[in-house]
Order: sequence, then C-alpha cells, then structure tokens
Amino acid sequence: MLLNLQDVSSFYGNTRILRNVTMGVAKGSCLCVLGRNGVGKTTLVKTIMGLTDKIEGEIHLDGADLSASRTDERAKCGIGYIPQGRQILGKFTVRENILLGTFARADESTTIPDICLELFPYLKENLNRRAGLLSGGQQQQLAIARALAVNPQILLLDEPTEGIQPNIVAEIGETLKMLNKELGITLVLTEQHIKVARKLGDEFVMMDNGRVVDSGPIAELTDDVVERHMTV
Amino acid sequence: MDPSVVLSALVLGISIGSIFLVAALGLAIIYGTAGVINMAHGELIMLGAYTTYTLQTFLGVPFFLCLPLSFCIVALVGIAIERLLIQHLYNRPLDTLLATWGVSLVLMQGVRLIFGSDPKYVQLPAFLSTNLDLGIVNVSVFRIFVVLVAALLVFATWYTFYRTRFGIMVRAVTQNKEMAASFGINSGKTYMLTFAIGAGLAGVAGAMFGGLNIVLPTMGMSYVVEAFLMVVSGGGSLLGTILASGFTGQMQSIFAFIFNDTFARFLIFLMVVIFLRFRPQGLIGSGDTRR
Repeated sequence: MLLNLQDVSSFYGNTRILRNVTMGVAKGSCLCVLGRNGVGKTTLVKTIMGLTDKIEGEIHLDGADLSASRTDERAKCGIGYIPQGRQILGKFTVRENILLGTFARADESTTIPDICLELFPYLKENLNRRAGLLSGGQQQQLAIARALAVNPQILLLDEPTEGIQPNIVAEIGETLKMLNKELGITLVLTEQHIKVARKLGDEFVMMDNGRVVDSGPIAELTDDVVERHMTV
Repeated sequence: MDPSVVLSALVLGISIGSIFLVAALGLAIIYGTAGVINMAHGELIMLGAYTTYTLQTFLGVPFFLCLPLSFCIVALVGIAIERLLIQHLYNRPLDTLLATWGVSLVLMQGVRLIFGSDPKYVQLPAFLSTNLDLGIVNVSVFRIFVVLVAALLVFATWYTFYRTRFGIMVRAVTQNKEMAASFGINSGKTYMLTFAIGAGLAGVAGAMFGGLNIVLPTMGMSYVVEAFLMVVSGGGSLLGTILASGFTGQMQSIFAFIFNDTFARFLIFLMVVIFLRFRPQGLIGSGDTRR
C-alpha cells in the first residue's frame, strides 16, 4: 500500500470528526471516498494533509510515518492537494499559482513542469492572467496543474467536479483517468457524483458519521449500497 | 507668491515624505504580511541609530557601511523578538499589540541603561553635510541622500516581494496560510524572515535618522506615530504606504509653509482621522480577510 491510515481519529478543537478510520490505497490505484454531505470526507482528506487541529492513530505514506509531520513536510513527501472549492490564490497570476506547487518538490526544481501546461493549453496561453478572473472550470484546471507541479506520487482531490459545468466535468474526468492510468499517479478522490466514481475508481470507501461503513472494489458499489448510504 | 519659496516647500515635501516612507516601510511589510501591529517599530528605528553610533564611535566603521550593518544587526534583533514572543501570538492582535508595546519599553530602557539619556550623534561624511544650491532652491545633500535611499529601499522591497520565490512564499502565506502549507511552505519560517526584513528596514531608517537628528532612547516615539499613520492610511500595502507618505509629506510641507510646523502636524492628523472615517480600508486596502 502507498497510503495507509491506521485507526485514525481527527479533531477540530475538541470535536471528534473522524472516528477510528482504517484504510489503505494501493500504488497506482484510484480510491473513491463516498458519502453524504457532512460525513467526514473533506476531513479525511484534510487529515491526510495535516490540516485538522489534532489527530490520533497513524498515517503512513510509502512507509514514512506522517502522523506527527507538519502540513508543509507532508506536501514535500509527494502529496498533491486539490482542495474543495479549489482555493486558487486569486491575487496571483496563473504562473504564480502553478509555481506555488514547485515549493513542495523533493528535487527542488523551480520551473513549471511541462505536463502542467501540456494538459491545459488555456493556462499556457494565459500565464500572466490573474487567477481570480478565471471561470470555475479553468480554476479547477489550474488547481490540478498546481498539484501536478509538486510532481506528486499521490493526488488528493476533494470533490473536484463540484460546481463545474457538466461538459467540463467530463473533461476533468478524462484528465484524471489519464493521470491515473497512463502516468501511474495514485488518486484519492472524494465524490458525490457516482458516475464519476464508477468511471475512475478502482476501490471505494463509504463513510457515514466519521466512520468507514463499507469498502471494496468499485464493482461492489451497487445501487443498493449507494441507496443505503448516500440517499437523503 | 515667490516661486522659489513654493519650490522649496515642494522639495521639502518630498524630503519629509521620504522620511515618513523609510520609517513606515518595515512596519508596512510586517503588518501587511503577518497582520502584526508592531508597537516596538519605533524602538527598532532607535536601535538602528544606536547601532550606527556604536559602530562609528567604537569601531570606526564608515557611515555608508553602517547602513547595511544596521540592517543586519536590527534584523537579528527582529528574529529574536519574533521567535521568542510574536510567533506565539499570531492571530491574537490585541495580545500582540500589548506584547510589542512591552518590548518597546524594554528596548528603550535597555538602551538608556547602556548608553545613558544624554544625546548621541551620528557623524555624516563631509559631503553629506553640505547644501546643494540649485539656483532657486537650496537643498541639504543629506536630505537628497535620504530620498535616494528611500527610492532604493522601495525598489529592493518591491523586487523581493514581487520578483523572487521568497516573494511568492510571503504573498502565498498572506493570502491563504493553509494552502501555502499544503504546497510545502513553512509559514512560521516565512513570518520570521519577513519580520527580520521589516526590522532590518527599521534599522536602516534609524541609521539615517541619526544623521538628521540627535540620537536618544526616546527617538523612536517621534517616528512611530507617522509610520503608523502612513501604513494605516495606505491600507497596509506597499503602494498604499508610498502614496500616503508622498501625499502626507507634501501636505505637511505646504501647511507648515502657510501656518507653522505644529499646526501642520495637527492638520495632518485631523485629515487622516477624517479620511479613515470614510475609507477605513485605507488608500489601497482591499478589505480582504487574512486566512
């Protein structure tokens, strides 16, 4: 396993959000984290990044124990993060946003990797444009390019299709599939779109009330499982 | 009206503006980046003046070399203050305000204990102590020097923050600390270095102000008020601070020409208060929330 969570609980202040989560992600695979709103999917991703107030349990990436590491140290282990809502730095140019990713590179390279601009020609043509002026879909492309600039071994994507036009959702889905299947980048993807999850995922975990309540190969993500855990 | 008098007032305005700017630059960087209202900024300026005095008097260091050395020495003091105190108080503005005020008192009393309360003097090179006769106006060469150094410091600051990787780090942390960390940036280290640069700039300001006035343990208080006014009315940004310093310097010179220096200061304060009543975000402030 590339990423392992062992009995992980996570807190905001004194409030426990994740409860004893144990899961693993195989190298080169795509794990979809599913569940209704508010069940702890975003907290799970933030916990892996070290963005919650406190954690219990152990998190290992490629054998290295990240449990006590700061967020910036975790990023330098090769984690590319695409947060919910994209969180592009709006006052930065497109170029500066992508360059931000290079601060986490293990090889200390300071140039934008070719793949970031080859995948998204719009970004290449608008490097000096202020990122806050981009549309939602373009910002999502920028968020992916920024995470790729890390040269990641694993990408954490928190609802990457949320608030994006349907035609762009398909495009982003294709891009992620290519990154996973052709470049071998491991993906952890929180999603509410079951279609996207079934198209991209190899495995799934279903969350409810901060716990993993079901998991398995994506083929086992039947309509019955979806109805039981995801319908309101 | 005699045009030479008007021109003199304008030239003096530029000089006053550049002094305000040099005093405010370090404060603007620290406030703009970390949101820290550094009440000890005036005492860091004072430390710069005493550093120059000490280097000149006891080690015979030439004035021009004292400027970068004052930057380095006061930057180290800034690092010590940030590591020992400020880093534990980020996101607690009231506590930071009180703590830095305490630091200002400690620095002032410490310098008084070491150097006494009698005035000290920074020796300027002979050519800086002369006046330049431009026909219709007569300008102090040292005041021209202060304007040039102010321009150089502004350029160096702009370059550092907008054209280097360190600048991307600082601006990323200012915009969104969580995202900056998610891409490998250590915000604690970034704040520390920014505080050091801000303190170092105060040190350079002090080294120059020591050449303008006598050096006293209390000298920082006379500069810090104007520095705060420039930063707050400028909106905390570099450009805003430059504009506020330039405008206020000219206004002070014109008011002093029409009335007198004391009344000019009164009018400036009044103008700033009225301005902030209607535009609390300052000249170039965006009103953004620091995340």
